[in-house]
Amino acid sequence: MDTTYESIRVSSKANASPSILIAIVYIFKKELTQFLRYPSWFVSMLIWPVLFPFGYVFTAKALSGPASSGINTFSALTGTTDYVSYMIIGTTMWMWVNWMLWGFGSSLRREQVLGTLESNWLCPIPKTTLLFGYSFFQLLYSFVFMGISLIEFMLFYNFRFTGNPLLALLIIVASIPSIYGIGFIFASIIMWVKEANSMVFLVRGVITVFCGITYPLAILPNWMKGVSSFIPVTYSIRSLRAVISAGARIGDVRTDIMILLLFGVILMTLGILAFNYTQKKVKETGSLGHY
Amino acid sequence: MKWQKLKFYMTTIWAITIKDIKIFFRYPINAIFRIVEPIMWITPVYFLAKSFQIGGENIGFKLFSGTSDYMAFLIIGSIIASFVSAILWGMGFSLKNEMDSGVLESNWLTPVPLLVQMIGRSIFSVIITLINSLIVAFLVWLIFGFEIGNGIVSAVITLFPMLIALYGIGFGIASLVLITNNANNVIDITNYLLNSISGNRFPVEILPRVILAVSLALPLTYGFDSVRGILLETNTLLPLYQEQLILVLFMFVGTAIGYFILNKVEKYCKTIGNIGHY
Repeated sequence: MDTTYESIRVSSKANASPSILIAIVYIFKKELTQFLRYPSWFVSMLIWPVLFPFGYVFTAKALSGPASSGINTFSALTGTTDYVSYMIIGTTMWMWVNWMLWGFGSSLRREQVLGTLESNWLCPIPKTTLLFGYSFFQLLYSFVFMGISLIEFMLFYNFRFTGNPLLALLIIVASIPSIYGIGFIFASIIMWVKEANSMVFLVRGVITVFCGITYPLAILPNWMKGVSSFIPVTYSIRSLRAVISAGARIGDVRTDIMILLLFGVILMTLGILAFNYTQKKVKETGSLGHY
Repeated sequence: MKWQKLKFYMTTIWAITIKDIKIFFRYPINAIFRIVEPIMWITPVYFLAKSFQIGGENIGFKLFSGTSDYMAFLIIGSIIASFVSAILWGMGFSLKNEMDSGVLESNWLTPVPLLVQMIGRSIFSVIITLINSLIVAFLVWLIFGFEIGNGIVSAVITLFPMLIALYGIGFGIASLVLITNNANNVIDITNYLLNSISGNRFPVEILPRVILAVSLALPLTYGFDSVRGILLETNTLLPLYQEQLILVLFMFVGTAIGYFILNKVEKYCKTIGNIGHY
């Protein structure tokens, strides 16, 4: 009996030449297959870009009044009267972060509920590979989503680019490490608390309240402004608005881009450390499959 | 015999409610976020409203709605919208959860009609929403401040038929979940769309004509409008009694249509055997 077990162990060790890249590709493929299995996800990808800003855009319209009297205060605070573009940029960033949080939170949690997380954990690959696999799928989704959003904004909200689209793309790319760093930390927390929904509500709630998704940060009390300066999404939204609506150039947003990159390095490192620590802990306590 | 059946159904609803209570309190962080989350949604809209104020008042908004107290307008909309969400999520999402956990088929094999199971699934959700709404309203009043009039009893009476009618929509949503096997998107989109177009955050008069036509065709619009008319004395779309009549009619028509659709879909799912698929 022992000999058989030993031979299996030895042979599996000999055969196991795990390629991290192949593992990432397979996780990416699995996520893509699951996504394509539910066509309603694609429908939601088409609907949300128009639907989500809808409430905020019309709230702003109602608040500005029939003769747009309220717009003067808004314009003085933001430097623009175009509240539609202002809301659209903020809400698109929010949707990106929201999707990322749900993706990271629910992918591990879902496997925990379905009972496949433990078997995935037994694969002879670094466990961070799982996160990178999810991340690449999320990135693909995010870029397709933003492309669709842009077309729909132009069609339904008469949205126009004032600044340089490539600079806007650069800001989005610079935001990726910090946003996915948050995702890695988030995935680790989910494995501890075993409750994805509430954690998504908390993190996205903080972003909704502090990052100026729909309002100018100038209106916030000082302590809230202080909190918002520690969230990378604040800088992404601010610089995107400056580029897209006010035509800012690279020199105007250089500081924000540098801050985003710095956040990216810190959060990505913290994310990987948190995930490694969590996987060690759940192995020790044997709580990986609990839910 | 009928009485025995009714007793049996009530016992089932009670058992499902107890199960939901146990699940809810098994994740205590969930309970906390039921209160924190609505405040997180309201806060950015509060700051948005502030960024349009002239001399500390939403003058522009008053010209549209009849009140400059946007927070009171918003909190009433949020409370009604939370009931819409509770029923839609309570019915639709629990089906998906049971699908994922693999217990839906065995539940369907019990001699309890699907309709009774669906009602059971929404009861706790509605109760917790009621408690939640009161706490949230109190906290929002403390943090942001707002004023409402004295017509709370007539507002509740006005809302009651709408809540019953929402069960009809809930049955329809549950049917969609059964067909598409994807609860999140179906519920999330329907919920957001219904609440937004019906004016949970703004008076619907400002909507473009095509969307306004859709909004006016939704009985939910008159629910938001009449309750605000009673509590805040805002301008209503129709005379109050007409809006209340629409809500009563909606109660009968909505539940009948929802029930009809659910029956059809239940039969369809049983025929093609997709209940346990996900």
